[in-house]
Amino acid sequence: MAILILRRLVQMALIIVVASFLLFLIFDTDAFKKKTAIAELGGFGVSSLSEADYQKWLDEKGLNVPFYQRYGKWLGDVATGDLGRSYEKSTAVGPLLLDRLKNTGILAFWVFALMIPLSLVTGVLAGMREGSAQDRTLSFIAVFTTSIPEIATAILLTVIFALGLGWLPAKSAMIGGFNWRQLVLPVLTLVIYDFGYVARMTRASMAEVMTSQYIRTAVLKGLPFRHVIVKHALRNALIAPFTIIVLQLNWLLSGVVVVEVFFEYDGFGKLLLEAALFGDIYVVQACTLVAVVIAVLSQIISDVGYTILNPRIRFA
Amino acid sequence: MSKNDRQHPLVEKMREQLADGRCGRREFLRNVTLLGVAAPAAYAMAGSILGKSLVPAALAQEGAKKGGTLRVAMQVQKMDDPATYSWIQMSNQTRHVAEYLTLTDAENITHPLLAESWEPNDDLTEWTFKLRQGVKWHNGDDFVADHVKWNVERWLDPALGSSNAGLSTFSAMVEDSDDTKKMIDGAVEVVDPHTIVFKLSKPVLSVPEDLYNYPTMILHPSFKPPFSDNPVGTGAYTLAELQVGQVCKLKRATQTTDGKPFTYWGDEPYLDEIHYYHFDADNQLTAFASGDVDTIYEFSIEQLPLAEALPGQVLEVRTAQTLCCRMQVDKPPFDDLRVRQAIVKACDNAAMPALVFQGRGDIGENHHVAPVHPEYYQLPKLERDVEGAKKLLEEAGKAGLEVTIDIGNTDGPWHQAVAEIMRDQLKDAGIRLNINVMPASKYWEIWTQTPFGGTAWTHRPLGTQVLSLAYRTGGAWNESHYDNPKFNEALDKAEAEVDVEKRRELMQPVEKILQDDAVMVQPIWRPVFTIINDTVQDYVAHPTEVHQFNKVWLSA
Amino acid sequence: MATTFDARPAAPPLLDRLSAPKAVLILVALMWVPLTLYVMAGRNLGVLQPYILLPAIPATLILYVLAVRAWRESWTAVIGATLVFFWLLMAVSAPYLPLLDPNKPIAPFVLPFSHGKVGDTFFWLGTDFKGRDMLSRTVWGCQRVIVWGVTATVVAYVVGTLFGLIAGYLSGWWDELITFFGNVLLSFPVMVLFIVVLNYLGPSGFNIVIAVTFASAPAIMRIVRGLTLDIKSRDYVFAAQTRGERPFYIMIFELLPNVRGPIIVDACLRLGYTTVAITTLTFLGLGLQPPDPDWGLMIKEAAKTAMLFRFSYMLIIPALSVSTLILGFNLMADGLREISLRD
Repeated sequence: MAILILRRLVQMALIIVVASFLLFLIFDTDAFKKKTAIAELGGFGVSSLSEADYQKWLDEKGLNVPFYQRYGKWLGDVATGDLGRSYEKSTAVGPLLLDRLKNTGILAFWVFALMIPLSLVTGVLAGMREGSAQDRTLSFIAVFTTSIPEIATAILLTVIFALGLGWLPAKSAMIGGFNWRQLVLPVLTLVIYDFGYVARMTRASMAEVMTSQYIRTAVLKGLPFRHVIVKHALRNALIAPFTIIVLQLNWLLSGVVVVEVFFEYDGFGKLLLEAALFGDIYVVQACTLVAVVIAVLSQIISDVGYTILNPRIRFA
Repeated sequence: MSKNDRQHPLVEKMREQLADGRCGRREFLRNVTLLGVAAPAAYAMAGSILGKSLVPAALAQEGAKKGGTLRVAMQVQKMDDPATYSWIQMSNQTRHVAEYLTLTDAENITHPLLAESWEPNDDLTEWTFKLRQGVKWHNGDDFVADHVKWNVERWLDPALGSSNAGLSTFSAMVEDSDDTKKMIDGAVEVVDPHTIVFKLSKPVLSVPEDLYNYPTMILHPSFKPPFSDNPVGTGAYTLAELQVGQVCKLKRATQTTDGKPFTYWGDEPYLDEIHYYHFDADNQLTAFASGDVDTIYEFSIEQLPLAEALPGQVLEVRTAQTLCCRMQVDKPPFDDLRVRQAIVKACDNAAMPALVFQGRGDIGENHHVAPVHPEYYQLPKLERDVEGAKKLLEEAGKAGLEVTIDIGNTDGPWHQAVAEIMRDQLKDAGIRLNINVMPASKYWEIWTQTPFGGTAWTHRPLGTQVLSLAYRTGGAWNESHYDNPKFNEALDKAEAEVDVEKRRELMQPVEKILQDDAVMVQPIWRPVFTIINDTVQDYVAHPTEVHQFNKVWLSA
Repeated sequence: MATTFDARPAAPPLLDRLSAPKAVLILVALMWVPLTLYVMAGRNLGVLQPYILLPAIPATLILYVLAVRAWRESWTAVIGATLVFFWLLMAVSAPYLPLLDPNKPIAPFVLPFSHGKVGDTFFWLGTDFKGRDMLSRTVWGCQRVIVWGVTATVVAYVVGTLFGLIAGYLSGWWDELITFFGNVLLSFPVMVLFIVVLNYLGPSGFNIVIAVTFASAPAIMRIVRGLTLDIKSRDYVFAAQTRGERPFYIMIFELLPNVRGPIIVDACLRLGYTTVAITTLTFLGLGLQPPDPDWGLMIKEAAKTAMLFRFSYMLIIPALSVSTLILGFNLMADGLREISLRD
């Protein structure tokens, strides 16, 4: 097990090195430097610079240093915990990213807090009696909600609850400090999109367990159905959903982008998009770094958890 | 300025022109204030000539209340070095902390600010500025002329790269030496702690206006970028918090940096705090709609119906902001004058405001001088001439012409709407227009290179300022590669003339040459829009979208 | 072709004959090739442009009948197919429907089911902020998302399958290398990858294809690799090897047909994801570009001009449209899985 984790961590480090190298390579093109300059100085501003002035500007920004040197320095800095400075925001990337991650963390916490019970209950209820009307209805709801993209869910919720009924604010910029009412719509949007997927996985797992020999035996023995479900079926049926849920962390990092942008919520996703559009390389690097680490860690956790929960599987 | 025993000779001339109707009230006010007459005196002068009392809008404030926080939705940007600011938004965040020598208001009239009065010599080459006394910096120092000198020298240092150096005032203070521009010795002379003289190598009328160009804030000589780390200015507010991309909070300055009491030199402003909250251009109005803010930086024409449906007051300002669908005169097929003329003739600028700006804005006349410019000369109205366009194309052997225009929507989707209407109009003359829409950032990469592109130009107080940047041979932003010695000459003449009446006459050939050479389809002068909620009082929207909140107050 | 159009009277046998793989392929080509050309080549088609989509309309209708017939045992699949084919039909017939020009401004902010101030034009779904007909934009809007979505998915499949077959069949360091790069790409959250790739390449339909390939191909590669590893030890592959066939031949003609089943179900699901991705990316400004209508663009534009209950139809209509298309893909995938499990 320890070897497995170690292998995955080494792989993660390797991936980060390769990915960040590629990013530096991409951001080193003249086109990208120009883009950064335009984002910062404006089109008229850049055009009024002479070639020498432009080069001077690049020097000032440290963009004229050959990228492998910048890359080497960046790797060294990251190792010591320094993520560089943002061009656009003129601040250290570390605290900035931490702040945005905290916001996304709040969002993610509530998403999971709602999504896990909702999807597990739905999945178990549906998978308990495969093919029943209850199963069909719940399964259809699950497919249905998963089919509405986040952007559409966000729109429908906003139109109904914010613009129509006026119960909740339409945007979640939180400019007057934290406000739970502004958190409702983004959380709901993500939950509605995601719960269907987890519910379907739970249902499949539950359905499989229900057809297994020992459950059938238990039912035939005349044990109460409820008792069979709670005592025997659930434990085994929830192993697969556990790994799926952990992997949703990875999905969430993608899902939050559009939701945060639509609701103007200052989180990780919005930061990444803005930085990419601005050409703010150190912020993009840091975001990618965090994203990859979270993604790989969630994979490791899900693998390890699966092994622990499922005594039948042993990794060599 | 009763202290001034001497008045500039041009002032008398302006009075005559106002009296016999050759110049309008606004123009009179603008010009005499530029020449050193204080605004109240200028208003009084105009009032006595026109026989009615004119009170500047901002002076009438009954029952104004103190206190409260004004919340503004705007892009919150970094505040590094005010002298190299490249966006108005940055300057708005700084404007109430550090101040300018002058202030140009929404009516294009320039008032004294840190300068108490100014006086040019007769040929406008030497400008004497009297500085206000009793002005304190936020660090407790007294504001003196040496500080101004320090700022000007800094702007003119080529190593700094301040865009101020390109203003006509400051470019008349430098000389070429060894391939670099250097400040002429003695161009700035400190006479006494509150008097400073600018000596220019050529006559410039717009000195006070140039001193309100947004990167000309006066900073304390102890300044080290970024400004946000050590925000020392003379303003009524100080920077309390800056998080780029999130929030910028300004608080009333009550203490100096070393803890002593601080009093602002001017009238105490009403607002306790000014908060800028970061919203992208597209989202500012929706932020306003949800009640998060009291006012916004700007909304676009596409959002006007939404804005009108919201509670609050929509403010609209006429400006010289425009879109130039300009053709590069040295690239085929636009190197053929007949082709350019055909395109211009086939377009109907007069139809644009209704189709694109819901009937608002002024019709453009393809010479880039706006009706709001003081020196605007009204040429005969442009008539659409489809037959003429067809004939020209045939003569040029280009019947069935197909051209492509690059559109970056850098100022909003209305650029694209203009291009789409042009496409329909050009069809009538047998010209096929393809529209190549690209992201704004992409457009800014190619705007000086594309043969045919729609570029947004911002408002400048004088028409000649743009012409000289964009159409003079070798102009810094000559995107059309226009090169016509006759035009340059006519423009030089107009720029050197200080008499408004004569200057306008001299603009006639300038505008005419540019129009006849068919360099651009410039369909519309767009208004700018903002919106305030019912609590915001005495808010005046400015054509360059600068914020002047010292008189703004909030009702409960 | 001959098999397709002769012998009209006898209905059931004809349908049977049309259901043959070859006929279906021809019909798909008849529908797909013109549509793709129409969207990607557009004006370059010249005189052909107004007519090119005509053969696609009957082809789409016949394919729909065939799909319903083939999948009649699964209601889910039939509903899914109905939704998908509805939009396909809209896509191929948009130029021939009595619609207003989708790019022509007429009267802004006209509410649905009402006349504009102009008087005579009746707007079923109202107009947008520029005064363009919403009905027309909604119908036209499906063209680009369908064409680019399917193209991106197909390309991702070709690339993913190819690498999967190579990795699975050749093993050794090929496998190691391909798997490593697959893992590198897979450890990026999808949207992060999209943003990085599209920001680098610039927003356009073709670049979406590349970005989707980067994001999807590794997962497809994994599936195909797994299937290949499983199948490779079977007798017929061994037989081919002893016949002395080249690895490439074996991969394409022996392995590929046998991994087809699971891939088709996965493809339907992936079509849904890709549609979501394109719409989302376009909303974020990284996808398709104006002026031609597209649902993601409609949402993007309306999100800043129509944030008012009265104008919310501008948001809801494209949101519902894209949801129905994705629902169609997902239901089809579900139904097909159901059918394959029953077999």
